[in-house]
Amino acid sequence: MSRAKSLQSYLLSRVLLAPLMLWAIATLVFLLLRATPGDPVDAILGPKAPPEVRQQLRAQLGLNLPLPLQYLHYLGDLLRGDLGTSLTSQGERVTAIIARHFPATAELAIASLVIALVVGLGVGLATAARPDSRRDAAGRLFGIVTYALPPFWAAMLVQLLFAVQLGWFPIGTRYPVTLEPPLGPTGLYTVDALLQGDWRACGLALWYLALPAGTLGLLLSGIFERIGRVNLRLALQSDYVDAARARGIPERRILFNHALRNALIPLVTVLGLTLAALLGGALLIETTYAWPGLANRLFEAISLRDYSTVQGIVVFFALLVVLASVAVDALNALIDPRIRY
Amino acid sequence: MRRRLRILALLLVGLGGCQSLLPPRGDRLVLGSTGRLRTLDPADAYESLAGTLFQNLGDRLYAYAPGTTRIVPQLATALPQVSADGLTYRISLRRGVRFHDGSRFDAAAMAFSLRRFQRNGGQASVLLADRIAAIATPDPYTLEIRLTRPFAPFLALLTFPGLCAVSPRAYRLGQGAFLTDRFVGTGPYRLVSRGSDRLHLEPFADYWGPRPANGGVDLQLFASGSTLYNALGTGLVDVTLGGLDVDQVRALQQQARWGQVRVVVGPGLAVSFLSINLTSAPLDQRPVRQALAAVLDRPLLDRRVFAGQVQPLYSLVPPAFAAAVPSFERYGATGNPALARRLLTGLGYSPRRPLRLTLWYRSNTSSGELVASTLRAAVQRRLGGLMQLEIQGVESTTAYQNLDKGAYPLFLLDWAPDFFDPDNYLQPFLACQRGNDRDGCQDGASRQMGSFYWQPTVQQWLEQSGAIAIPGPRQQLLTRLQRQVAEDVPYLPLWVNREYLFTRPDVRGRGLQVTGLISFGEFSRAHVAR
Repeated sequence: MSRAKSLQSYLLSRVLLAPLMLWAIATLVFLLLRATPGDPVDAILGPKAPPEVRQQLRAQLGLNLPLPLQYLHYLGDLLRGDLGTSLTSQGERVTAIIARHFPATAELAIASLVIALVVGLGVGLATAARPDSRRDAAGRLFGIVTYALPPFWAAMLVQLLFAVQLGWFPIGTRYPVTLEPPLGPTGLYTVDALLQGDWRACGLALWYLALPAGTLGLLLSGIFERIGRVNLRLALQSDYVDAARARGIPERRILFNHALRNALIPLVTVLGLTLAALLGGALLIETTYAWPGLANRLFEAISLRDYSTVQGIVVFFALLVVLASVAVDALNALIDPRIRY
Repeated sequence: MRRRLRILALLLVGLGGCQSLLPPRGDRLVLGSTGRLRTLDPADAYESLAGTLFQNLGDRLYAYAPGTTRIVPQLATALPQVSADGLTYRISLRRGVRFHDGSRFDAAAMAFSLRRFQRNGGQASVLLADRIAAIATPDPYTLEIRLTRPFAPFLALLTFPGLCAVSPRAYRLGQGAFLTDRFVGTGPYRLVSRGSDRLHLEPFADYWGPRPANGGVDLQLFASGSTLYNALGTGLVDVTLGGLDVDQVRALQQQARWGQVRVVVGPGLAVSFLSINLTSAPLDQRPVRQALAAVLDRPLLDRRVFAGQVQPLYSLVPPAFAAAVPSFERYGATGNPALARRLLTGLGYSPRRPLRLTLWYRSNTSSGELVASTLRAAVQRRLGGLMQLEIQGVESTTAYQNLDKGAYPLFLLDWAPDFFDPDNYLQPFLACQRGNDRDGCQDGASRQMGSFYWQPTVQQWLEQSGAIAIPGPRQQLLTRLQRQVAEDVPYLPLWVNREYLFTRPDVRGRGLQVTGLISFGEFSRAHVAR
């Protein structure tokens, strides 16, 4: 079979497997939520409501149906692309909740990823070029510390230092509460402000984004620092680099044109894997910074046992991770000729 | 390397300088809250933040005069004329009132609002569901409400924030027909916009009453108290609307002494108590429960756990009510360990055969574990080996599911009233429609609270106190009820909270009402003249 055909069949198999993975995740979330102690009706009504009101709400939410029937309804709705209606926000569709909150998470995630890449790779590459030096040791330490720091604690410290003590940055929300945020097609305030040519709004959006994205970005940068440093060092020890040196090519050109290009290939895989870590990290960062994103909403829904909202958001996150994973596989297959399927 | 560091520093300083892009706030104020806002429909909302919003966005028939517990007409023009049988309330309504959408307020609109609350099936609908038999509008500015049975606290119930007037043009009547994201009422503020974490309120130009002292408020919602605390410290928020924990309140009280923030304190209405399962041995024996009452040291809890931020409570009815009788003081203000020892040894308990009890608390509340462990230590210290208290945590939702199943012998709970009347601190604890001496309450509020308290005389007194509107005889019944609770000990009242508001030093006004609600219109910025 030709390489193009085998690539096609490989990608097809990955795409066909994606719904299976989503079904497994959706089923797991459904079962785990029901296995968790607590009842949405009690979470919604609290201890005050009389039993008849509880019963009425339970029936209204479809929670009085047998579990297999609830599961079948849930799967049927999922197949139709219907994530259901929030149990706690009267009549609000889960898709509407996702549409309203996801842009905030996306903006935070993209900015964090950019910071993580720039800082992580910057430190990794700077240290790999000088192995066993002081700079190398500092780089390693940076990688370990940023990777090991608990996000919640780090976010609190950053907040205390840069917002409370120094007063350089604001905390809480995405945009000054006294102003109307820039509304545009993407929902990303920085991008929408740029699209409208409103530099002031863009500056303000960046200002609010700086601390949460900076914290999450720095916490994730440790992964990129390690990947960058290890792979670049391996590349710099390889035969083709020795050959380039023997030909008298300047060290800088060897580093950027030969070694770095190959060292960055595994980064594509890591980028895909980082998406899951990014969404997990966003949950803690959004809660700590009161960032009005989807992860924050998920946290609230979990505490309220809002089954449909939790299921919807988790399936949506899972879809993102599965899509990213398929995209990474495809990208890897395209850019690295050594990969066999 | 140094060049890169310089660039980074410049970037940080540059972003830090973005503060200059913010326009001055003028006479607008930013309020911060950690409250949850599920819906803005008064017929469905039951959360305290929603209540505070309705207080400012809407008007009810009756309200409390600022800073007092005196009920005064709001959309009504006078106190109601009540029929001799206590069943019919005739209320004259204010003329010239407009809704935020420009439509006219009248008796039909008020009747529509009350019917919506009663029939749309919202979470708070139970407050009216079986109380109102009919609502009539004999003329455009007169409302006649007929009750199913006499209910003395009905006037207090009408001050419930969710019973505000809403525009029939904007809302619909019918099961589940709620308007989640908008609010169209008659209050001093109108809702301009609602985002996922913010609300913008402007003064309503056509408001019939006094204008707010500020130029509008922006309410920002925070996920945690620590972020709200920091936001006040950095000046992003002008006023905090609760939601801070004990340490944060203590730190802000300290800052208030240095003039960095301003503090407003008011009596709270949320009570915390131990619910005792009377069907669970050995707590089915009254002397055991009385021994438990005698071993409690409430001021110790206030000092150790709450740093003086709560008030020890000696009755189910908090002292903010004139009807409150501190009946549990019979066991001593700081307890009476000698009495507890005497009661327990009288029942045959000894250090070799101690009384063993398990105290449950909600693990997801901020102070639950600390209170439980302080109680355990106090019991150990005061009674030696006579009583052993084990403590167990369980999440709220699980607890609420199992309380009426008798799963917990002793449970640490709290209660916030729906309306400002002693009845709302007694009925939800003591009422029981069906029960017997052996199994306790089988159907009723005391079962839901996990106590299963059943006492026919108490039920009789409860019914009478709910029906009698005359202050003297009603007070007698309320006193008897509180004393009987101290005698039978189905619950152990522990403390009542205090409400704390913190503002930036340049913000004036109290805002906090005795009912725990907050009037935004009382706040203003000191240097801005209006």
